[in-house]
Amino acid sequence: MGLFSKGITLRAYAALSTPPLLETPVPEQVILPLRHYVGEPATPTVSPGDSVRAGQLIATASGPNSLPVHASISGTVGAISEQLTVQGLRVPAITIDTDGTDSAVELPAPDTDTATLSAEQICERIQAAGLTTCGTLPVPLAADLAPVDQPKTHLSLTHRPVTKGIDTLIITALDREPALQATRYQAGREHDELPAGIEALKRVTGAERTVVVVDKSSPIAPQITGLVAADEEETTSIVRLDARHFPVGLPVPLIKAVTGRELPLPYGHPRDVGVALCDLATVIAIGAGVTRQAPQTEIMITVGGGSLKAQGVVAVKIGTPVGVLVEALGGVSRPPGKLIVGGPMTGMAHYDMSVPITKEVTGVFALSPDELTLTVGYRECINCGRCVAVCPVNLVPGMLSMYCAKDRFDEARQEGLFTCIECGCCDHVCPSRRPLVHLFRHAKHQLTEQQL
Amino acid sequence: METPKLIVSMSPHLRGPLSIERMMLTVMVGLIPTALAGIYFFGITTLMIMVVAMATAVIVETLIERLTGQPLTFRDYHALLMGLLFAVILPPTAPWWIAAVGALVAVVLGKMVFGGLGTYPFNPVIVAWVVLKLSWPERMELFVDPHSTEQVLTPLMAIKEDPALLYSYEIRELFFGSQAGPIGTGCAPAIILGGLWLLYQGVIRWHIPVAFLVGVALFAGIVHGVNPDLYPPLSFHLLSGGVLLAAFFLAPEPVTSPVTPTGMLAFGFLAGVLTMIIRMWGAHPDGSFYAILIMNAATPLLNHLKPRNYGRSYGA
Repeated sequence: MGLFSKGITLRAYAALSTPPLLETPVPEQVILPLRHYVGEPATPTVSPGDSVRAGQLIATASGPNSLPVHASISGTVGAISEQLTVQGLRVPAITIDTDGTDSAVELPAPDTDTATLSAEQICERIQAAGLTTCGTLPVPLAADLAPVDQPKTHLSLTHRPVTKGIDTLIITALDREPALQATRYQAGREHDELPAGIEALKRVTGAERTVVVVDKSSPIAPQITGLVAADEEETTSIVRLDARHFPVGLPVPLIKAVTGRELPLPYGHPRDVGVALCDLATVIAIGAGVTRQAPQTEIMITVGGGSLKAQGVVAVKIGTPVGVLVEALGGVSRPPGKLIVGGPMTGMAHYDMSVPITKEVTGVFALSPDELTLTVGYRECINCGRCVAVCPVNLVPGMLSMYCAKDRFDEARQEGLFTCIECGCCDHVCPSRRPLVHLFRHAKHQLTEQQL
Repeated sequence: METPKLIVSMSPHLRGPLSIERMMLTVMVGLIPTALAGIYFFGITTLMIMVVAMATAVIVETLIERLTGQPLTFRDYHALLMGLLFAVILPPTAPWWIAAVGALVAVVLGKMVFGGLGTYPFNPVIVAWVVLKLSWPERMELFVDPHSTEQVLTPLMAIKEDPALLYSYEIRELFFGSQAGPIGTGCAPAIILGGLWLLYQGVIRWHIPVAFLVGVALFAGIVHGVNPDLYPPLSFHLLSGGVLLAAFFLAPEPVTSPVTPTGMLAFGFLAGVLTMIIRMWGAHPDGSFYAILIMNAATPLLNHLKPRNYGRSYGA
């Protein structure tokens, strides 16, 4: 197992081990985007004026990279129009206005015979449940997994198609950032669908061993520790990492910390090193989707920030606008400086509170102005080396930033620009307050545009 | 709902507390014990030297920035720090104009001609010291014993003339600073205290100070082992001249030292070895400042000693 010695220990938002669970707000209206970051928009199966129940299919997938959309509340379909999403794109979306009840659609009886399902059938059910990969830029999960009987070929670094099997399944009960607590909260509770989800994933990926990653200071449900004991073949193990040590929760450093393998960045995928990575919430949703064919209508996110009255985790109906969530939780205690969707280190600052919370959202933070250190008027790199000390992918961010700031993008690429995972550790520690991640993103964007 | 006025900028949205101002202030606080020791041993005139140097540095920097239309940077305390650090490596007999000229050279030739903080290749304090040493050699070698005005040789100058003189110095005297020398290089406890403070605050990393001291100690130890009568023991070398001050305050100057851990270790070690080489066989009694200047030139090269490329060894 590799040691993870880089990265930073965040003092702010050093998370509580048992965050309070806040009450789920019942939104008046939900906005359900039909398209995710990649892929074609799903085709609506309902029209304005139709009444729908929670969990009902309202749009079917229209291609391999598309996902079906399910209603998250019961009510009447409003308009089908272009809406702004969390990623800042304008995509067609279905609006549903609540009817006040919470009537859910009837689900088929739980399928206890899932052991006979083939990997292909499991993938079909995962797709039918509308699951995406975890991360800022979600991809349909079924398209991302490689069923063992139909392994995906993908290009290796030598540009030859490679069929690579997966030997390790990593289930992470660690959030991406210390400030996020939803996954750790769920790791402290029992879930009926968890064993089924793990079994389904094992079957689909063909992994020989399973590793469950938990936070060393959060309470872990006996169900999870019981997984190790229950496994007769002794292929399941538990690894404890310190969630406060950012960015161990992000996929690339996590895989390194657990397996010692380094992804061949920049275009590496966990599959390249024989790993399948899935977070706990998605595994539970897979379990629900495979056994009960239940779609995902709620996600658990973390809310916090100096400007927000409420601090804790909350289950949110998919499609709830951010502003509605904030108001329902008590609103802001003082004018916010930034509204962040995601975590405070890797999330996106938003300008529109009407943006809907979709499946890949992990948190909503309203940071107050005095929590912010803006990079206006940043100084020259003073070569102090703090960025080098914290970079989890062994870059020299200071030098990179100097190239990017002077528009020397090709030299930046040679310095390893595309290896950067944009975790923000270097930016966090820089005394000159250089907007390092911003500079790197700008350079990457310029280089990508040049290539097109 | 009414959307409040929100700032939209890129992640990360949380930043650490360390800024340039805090770094500079922390180093100045680390220099306070040294400055106090200097005032104690050599009198109140040393305070005058420090004040003149600091004031000149700030005034000159602000003047140049005004004249060239650049934003004023005196608030980051870098000029103030340079002034203080320069003052403590001067001889206690230095007149006020030496302090002023030195501070001016440090700011102008050491920093501003290159473009300000972060852009200069050589440690400005040492650049100023070398310029002064070449321009007014007798004044820069005018040292006195503590609490007296009689000119004497520093221990290093003495053993350069006659190696047997090393026996006339007690390690205890060298350690506590009752020796002739620059204002702030004598009192080891003060410097070490300041150095530990810097390390504790995370303003400098351990690599350069440790490598520097190891370089000096190793070389001195080996050479002393070969010929104990001719060459002083390593304790003498570690405690005399500017080695300790250089190790904690001059060599780890962030702008002019490498950024990578391997680079830092190489930088420190070679600077230590160079210090000893100049002391043993060079023309100057103390080589620590020159050694750092020379190694500053090697910093861009040493920056190529980078951490291993990520992902190259996949497939393990």
